Amino acid sequence: MIPVLLGVSFLVFTILSLTPGDPGSIILGITAKPEDIARLNAEFGYDRPFFVRFFTYIGNIVFHLDLGTSYATRQPVINSIMARFPNTLLLAAMAMAVECLLGVSMGIISAVRQYSVLDRVMVVVALVFASIPGFWLGLMLITVFSIRLKLLPVFGADTLRHFILPTLTVSLTSAAGLLRLTRASMLETVRQEYIRTAQAKGAGERVVIWKHALRNALIPVITSMGTGFGASLGGAIIAETVFSMPGMGTLMTNAIRQKDVPTVMGATLFLAVMFSVVVLIVDILYAFIDPRIKAKYRNEGRGRG
Amino acid sequence: MDKKNKRRKHSQLKEFWRRFRKNRTAILGLVILAVIVCIAVFADLIVPYARCIEQVGADRLQPPNPSHWFGTDELGRDLFSRVVHGARYSLFVGVVTSLIALAIGAVLGASAAYFGGMVDNVIMRIIDVFMCVPPILLSLAVVSALGTSLRNLIIAITISCIPGNTRLIRSVVLTVAEQDYVEAARSYGTTNRRIIFRYVLPNAMGPIIVNTTMMISDMILSAAGLSFIGMGIQPPAPEWGALLSNAQTYIFTAPYLLFFPGIFIILTSLSFNLVGDGLTDALDPKLKD
Amino acid sequence: MNNELLQVKNLSVQYKTDLETVYAVNDVSFSICEGETLGLVGETGAGKTTTALGIMGLLPKRTAHITGGSISYKGRELTELSKKELLGVRGKQISMIFQDPMTALNPVLTVGDQIGETLRLHNTENLSGEAIEKKVDEMLEMVGIPPERKKEYPYQFSGGMRQRVVIAIALICDPSLLIADEPTTALDVTIQAQILSMICDLQRKYGTAVIMITHDMGVVAETCDKVAIMYAGQIVEYGELKDIFTGDDHHPYTIGLFGSIPSLTKKYRRLTPIEGLMPDPTTLPAGCCFAERCSHCQEICRREKPQPVVSGSHMIRCHAADAHLAAASDFFEKDLSRG
Repeated sequence: MIPVLLGVSFLVFTILSLTPGDPGSIILGITAKPEDIARLNAEFGYDRPFFVRFFTYIGNIVFHLDLGTSYATRQPVINSIMARFPNTLLLAAMAMAVECLLGVSMGIISAVRQYSVLDRVMVVVALVFASIPGFWLGLMLITVFSIRLKLLPVFGADTLRHFILPTLTVSLTSAAGLLRLTRASMLETVRQEYIRTAQAKGAGERVVIWKHALRNALIPVITSMGTGFGASLGGAIIAETVFSMPGMGTLMTNAIRQKDVPTVMGATLFLAVMFSVVVLIVDILYAFIDPRIKAKYRNEGRGRG
Repeated sequence: MDKKNKRRKHSQLKEFWRRFRKNRTAILGLVILAVIVCIAVFADLIVPYARCIEQVGADRLQPPNPSHWFGTDELGRDLFSRVVHGARYSLFVGVVTSLIALAIGAVLGASAAYFGGMVDNVIMRIIDVFMCVPPILLSLAVVSALGTSLRNLIIAITISCIPGNTRLIRSVVLTVAEQDYVEAARSYGTTNRRIIFRYVLPNAMGPIIVNTTMMISDMILSAAGLSFIGMGIQPPAPEWGALLSNAQTYIFTAPYLLFFPGIFIILTSLSFNLVGDGLTDALDPKLKD
Repeated sequence: MNNELLQVKNLSVQYKTDLETVYAVNDVSFSICEGETLGLVGETGAGKTTTALGIMGLLPKRTAHITGGSISYKGRELTELSKKELLGVRGKQISMIFQDPMTALNPVLTVGDQIGETLRLHNTENLSGEAIEKKVDEMLEMVGIPPERKKEYPYQFSGGMRQRVVIAIALICDPSLLIADEPTTALDVTIQAQILSMICDLQRKYGTAVIMITHDMGVVAETCDKVAIMYAGQIVEYGELKDIFTGDDHHPYTIGLFGSIPSLTKKYRRLTPIEGLMPDPTTLPAGCCFAERCSHCQEICRREKPQPVVSGSHMIRCHAADAHLAAASDFFEKDLSRG
């Protein structure tokens, strides 16, 4: 876990260090006096070599929870992240929940009723939704629910009601993918020999599906949840722009426009770390559903103890 | 198992086309795709580029009408011609990024699978690190560092989908390389080159082609998304995402500006998805119980 | 012991897809009495598994169609049972063991759970949870697995052990009929004998009738009372063990099957394989299905389907057998006409 996080930090730090220009000239503009620029560059530690800067940066994060200082506001980056991250997390989490609920359940129904009209319709609808850009869906939801029907607020993140449309925006498009995955996995599972064993025992359709097929079918679905959360984060970032929500997405796009490298770097790193943590949690969850993996973990634990 | 153990031998490609043709939605996808490719290729014949940039002050924010099929934007530009010429951007970006990502992913994934050991370890650990950053963040970071332009957009979204591609190709190649027929070929002394080109590649092609088709669809969506938040192709270029970004301001007054570019993005992306879906079914007949 | 348990009459099954129709089982008839063992022999693709699945009511719903015939079990017509009635038969009355123990067990459930499930599904005696667990322990012991291992998952068992679990699943409800679909094919040779003798022991103990599906004549010789030889979806020869192994007349395919088995006692004999392949099940020939590969093939064999020729308990579906049996009367008739 730690080497991966270090790797991620290095990756993000390297990419963003490619940004042309130094903090001094970005903040003060190119017309400023060279000695002022140099002073500011020293203040940001920009005059030191790349690796020194990198390790100072990491050191500051680890020991002081300090992600640097914004070029634009001259405030600690961590403050603006902490002010906005809860919105993004809430949006991504709610979207994830709706997505799982919709995608998994409809995927199961579709697979169980394979070749029925319902199944055919759902497969096509899912494919269409998978082809809709999230932001466009958001704009359409605004036109229908906020402008025409005047049911829901358009902009901001003040109440939970503000989250309804963004959540739908993010979840509907990704639920389509999950539906397809669940359906495919379910169909694959139903073809397995142990399903026939269960049927030969005299188990009815319900027992076969819920007890025997579902748990096996969910294994690849759960594996995909990790990347699914990444997609939700990505979707949230875009949806925030559509709904003008104060979140990580708007923070980052603004920072990119202002060439506020520390903020971009801090935000990217922060989200990447969050994402890695979620992926780790998913791995653990995975172990609970698949005894083979659980046994592996247990044996490793025993080996260490 | 007792059934259909023997099938008459058909040419593989013929058999494949026969199955694909039976799939009506896949054919629909192919038709839509053909139309959009035609639009992109013959854009200048359909409507001259000049109409994209021509600003008619009197015709600002006109709803769709006989002279402006899709209406006009806030500067009086004809939306129809802008959407037609925008097809080039979306297709170009989608196809180019996917092909580059495929090429790089193939080299990395295949060498990881083929050489194994240290090479595999190093490549895959680096890929693991890339996988820890959600694709859009990676794209944003790259755009932030390089600035916004068509070239940088291509770099940004290509980078973001190389890791997934590498993993996929590695696993496909590993699966195929483990098959008994490869083992058999090796046992009677077939050269490595021949094994790769005659045995591994043809059998690994299926999933890779399907994945690439679906990837083009994803790339079109990502490119539109980045352009929409202003991190991709910049106005006044008539890229669909950029058109939508611009139209967002007029959501209350001119919602038709949002409608048409969006529909075209969906159709393009959908056509690739439909074709990819049809390919999956046609390549994997056992799914059709 | 001579009560008829299962009677299959003129059963035909087809698989229909939009591309083709596979004639998997054609006009198959056999019967089995309580406690008996019937061997269903034939090469891969002969329709053995399809027949078995037909009896179980487990044919794939969309593609497979029973186009004719009847399956009657203890006087009840299985093909006409409702879904629910069929569930009561499966596992409780008739159970089935599948070929590959590596895939036949659910990887995410403990073996104890999977064995006990059969009992819980057919809990007509209202056994308590504890009673069921006790029964599971007994059953595990019976198949030679320490009961402590019931909390373990399939991946922790070897192939042979898994097949024991599968057998325990099939037998825990004490069914009257067990269908064993090549139960030992996927196992090591040493394990094969163990599993086979275990099935036979349990069968004797409980008086279970067994349909033993196999392509191994050795297995048939050791375990079966009756034998049905299947070829291209048809039973080409059917009879008691002695009819098949020591009878005078045989279907050429049966002779071919014996010719393909190495013999320890007759050293001089060479292996004589059956040349050629089974006919394409989507386009069966007009005449005898075996005609293409038969060394005694005559003109009539290509033209007409042979009808079953019965003498006592022995049935052969062959024009040659027909000719042979009819020879006596034939000779007589010819004699008359000449005279």
